[in-house]
Amino acid sequence: MDIHFEEASVRYEARTALEPLTLRLTERRIGVIGLNGSGKTTFARLINGLVKPSSGKVVVNGFDTVKDAEAVRAEAGFIFQNPQNQIILPILKEDIALGLKRRKLSGAEIDAAVSAVLVRFGIPHLADRRTHELSGGELQLSAFASVLVTQPKILILDEPTNQLDLKNRNLVERTMAAMDENLIVISHDLALVEGFDKVLLFSGGKLVGDGNPSDVIAQYKKLAGA
Amino acid sequence: MNTLYLDGQSLLHRLSTKPKLGGLAVFSVFLFAASHPLALGVSALVAALAYASTGIGWKPGLARLRPAFITIAAVTLFALLFQPPIEALVILFRLTALMLAAAAITATTSIGAFIDTITWAATPLERFGLVRAADIGLSVGLVIRFVPEVTLRYRSIRDAHQARGLKVRPVTLIVPLIIQTLKNADEIAAAIDARGIR
Repeated sequence: MDIHFEEASVRYEARTALEPLTLRLTERRIGVIGLNGSGKTTFARLINGLVKPSSGKVVVNGFDTVKDAEAVRAEAGFIFQNPQNQIILPILKEDIALGLKRRKLSGAEIDAAVSAVLVRFGIPHLADRRTHELSGGELQLSAFASVLVTQPKILILDEPTNQLDLKNRNLVERTMAAMDENLIVISHDLALVEGFDKVLLFSGGKLVGDGNPSDVIAQYKKLAGA
Repeated sequence: MNTLYLDGQSLLHRLSTKPKLGGLAVFSVFLFAASHPLALGVSALVAALAYASTGIGWKPGLARLRPAFITIAAVTLFALLFQPPIEALVILFRLTALMLAAAAITATTSIGAFIDTITWAATPLERFGLVRAADIGLSVGLVIRFVPEVTLRYRSIRDAHQARGLKVRPVTLIVPLIIQTLKNADEIAAAIDARGIR
C-alpha cells in the first residue's frame, strides 16, 4: 500500500472538514481515531475518492483519486459505517454480483466469484437471504463480501464495530485479523486498533497524532479527557 | 431493505425473465389498444389470476397494491365526472389489469434479474452510442428497490407521529418522507460509487 496526501484539504463552504494534510501511508494496518466530527471519515473518504480534495491531491498506489477515480476504486474498497447503506440489492448474492457486472465476466464466472467470497467469510448459507433479515454481524460480513468480491488491495472500514453487540464485534475483529488486504480502520473501539502497525489521531480537522498505537491512543485519551 | 420479490415455485417464478418482461410489454400495448370493456374486464381477471398464482395470499397481496388501488379509484372517479360511465369502466379495467400484471411480474422476478434483462434489452441502443445499457438496467432496478423502502419509511414516520401523540397530517408526513428518501438516495449513490458499480 502506498498512499500520498499532498497538501490535501476539504472545505464545505465556510467549514473546513480537513486542514491541508501531507502524509504518506505504507503500513499494512492503520487505525484512525478521534472525536466525532474530527475529520476521520472525510480523511477516509478522500482515499476512496468519495470525497474530492478542495486543494492538493491524494494518490493511491500511483492513481490520482480525481483523475483516475475508477482505478482508485478498484484499488481501495470502502465499507460504510452502516452496512445497510453498503448493500444495494435486497438479496445478498445478487448484491455481491452487482459489483462484478462491469467486468464483462460470464454468468458462471460471476457465480463462482460470489460463491468464493461467501465461503471466504463463512456465509455461503446467506446467499439467498434477504439482507433485511440478517443480524448485525451477518450484515457486516455481507458488506465485507460485497466489497471484497472485486478484490481491492486496500480496504477502508468506517467504524466496522459500531452498533454491534460484543459477540458480533468479536466476530468482525477475528474476520479482520484473518484478512490479507491492507486495512485502514476508523474506529472509536480503541481495542480494535491497538494491535495495528500505526494509528492516526485527528482533532478539529487536523492530524494531531501519528505513530505507534499505544502512544497515539494515550494521546487520544488525554485529548478526550478520559 | 425490503423487497417486492416473493420466494416461490409458481409458473411465473420458473419462467425466464425475458419472456416475462416481453409478455408484460405486449400485454400493456394490448390494454391500451383495446377499448371494449369486456375484453379489458377479462384481461383484468387474467391478470388477477396471474397475481394470485404467485402465492402471495389475498391479504398481503391486496395490502401491497393498496396505494395503487387508491390512485386508480381516484382516476376512475375523476373520469366519471367528465366522461360516460362506460369510459370510466374502461379506465378502471385497463389500469387494474396493468397494475395486477406488473405486480405479478415484480413478485416473481428478483431485482438482479430485472437489471440483467433490462441491460440486455438496452444493449442495442448502446451500440449506437445513445446510452449506457448498464445504467438503464441499474436505474430500473433501483426504482423497484425503492418502492418498498419508501413505504417502510412512510410507516415509520407515521408511527413516530403516533408515538409522540401528534396528529398525522399530509404535510408533516410528506416533507420528512421526501428528505429521508433523498438522503437514502444519496447514500445509495455513494455506495454505487464506492463499489465501482458505475
